[in-house]
Amino acid sequence: MSRAQFARMRSLEAATEMLSYLGPGAVVLAGGQELMPSINYRVLAASVFVDINGLPELKGIRLEDANLSIGALCVHREIERNELVRQHAPLLAHALSEVGGGWQVRNRGTIGGNIVCMHPLYDALPALIALEASLLIRQQGESNRVPINYMVTDTGHGLGSTSILVRILVPILSNSVSWGYHKLKTTHGAYSSATAASLVTIDSTMRVRRVRLVLGAVESVPRDISNELQSLIGKRYGDEMLRDVESLSASAVVDPISDQRGEAGYRRAMAGVSARRAFADAVTRACPKFN
Amino acid sequence: MAVTQTMDEILEDDVLLTCRLNGANCEELVTPGLSLLDFLRDQQHLTGTHMGCMTGHCGACTVLIDGEVAKSCLVMAASAAGKNIQTIEGLSPPDGNLSTIQQAFRDANSFQCGYCAPGMVLTAVSLLSTNPQPSDQEIREALSGNLCRCTGYRSIIAGIRLAAERQLKLTNKPTGPNGV
Repeated sequence: MSRAQFARMRSLEAATEMLSYLGPGAVVLAGGQELMPSINYRVLAASVFVDINGLPELKGIRLEDANLSIGALCVHREIERNELVRQHAPLLAHALSEVGGGWQVRNRGTIGGNIVCMHPLYDALPALIALEASLLIRQQGESNRVPINYMVTDTGHGLGSTSILVRILVPILSNSVSWGYHKLKTTHGAYSSATAASLVTIDSTMRVRRVRLVLGAVESVPRDISNELQSLIGKRYGDEMLRDVESLSASAVVDPISDQRGEAGYRRAMAGVSARRAFADAVTRACPKFN
Repeated sequence: MAVTQTMDEILEDDVLLTCRLNGANCEELVTPGLSLLDFLRDQQHLTGTHMGCMTGHCGACTVLIDGEVAKSCLVMAASAAGKNIQTIEGLSPPDGNLSTIQQAFRDANSFQCGYCAPGMVLTAVSLLSTNPQPSDQEIREALSGNLCRCTGYRSIIAGIRLAAERQLKLTNKPTGPNGV
């Protein structure tokens, strides 16, 4: 195996130019939490590591118009503790606080890395799809803003070898929307067996006005099942509705994963359980006097 | 602005790593792809940072980077330029005594085989620096990235609790008359 080279990039322009110049042998290095195990075990042979940690365009968290703009290099602990995120996208702050591996991994792992590796068991995607986030993606000479669900694939190719994820734009939640997140796992740091991220708007008569729900860790890509739950709109919250959420969610799963976290039938059933818990959490957060 | 570099000029075969290591300046050539863990152990002979899984699960290789815990097997050494790195070797004062947290671990028997201990101690440093009086639940959460294969977690938590008590006593030392 020939030795890899290293390129420390100082501008986004040069970084995208470098990726186009090098082609598929180049590997982007950000936080390294996903990349390093495959280098340590010689699973991945890169020709060049393109270090993007010095790119200012990929840093910081700020409000831009009606969006929270989060730099792709922001690490999980920075995001989960950021006041703007906690105020305007608390679902995301919570989901990233559940990333396993301890403080060490959450101090180094970036939201951009969590997104582009598109791992079915990771935490960022279900929350960001529920929040209808967009991605700012840069390629040599062009800049695109793409809804996140258009980008999610199970091909393992991420964004493609010449693109860099620059920022994540998350629409600011109105105060009337409440959120819930449930990650079913065997231990604190474990990967998930089923995840559900939910946004619910409920009125003063406890009738559901709007619902969004995304399942993670059950299929090879997260599944947005908001459409399957539209029959809940206008109905009153209660035990019957929770049973409906569970059965509708479980039957919305098309092709469940079987792995050491559980076989397909179990995953489908737990998708329903996680969905029910995330939905109930969202309602409880909106109306603490219920439940 | 300087003349734009060509792409080939940016590519490096070996990378000059300039950082702070345990309070001293460090300048070394490192191979692209080399983990910070291998750099510390093989090039700097700082073998107190332990190699466990190389996948980021076990936390035996925990170090502090700019005061925050990181798993050194998951950090590419070449990307640590400009950082302030602290290993277990840099924790005790030069007089040979143990730091408060190390002494507390020793007094509370927070070791069985000791393999996880350097990582546990550094995570405790990070925890107590931001939360001097953590609850047991907060200690457990802080330790979630560190595995102890002997499962000696209770004594490790007791060690961190003891360290917190001692640190608090040190910072709350009674002052003399007139608050001096």
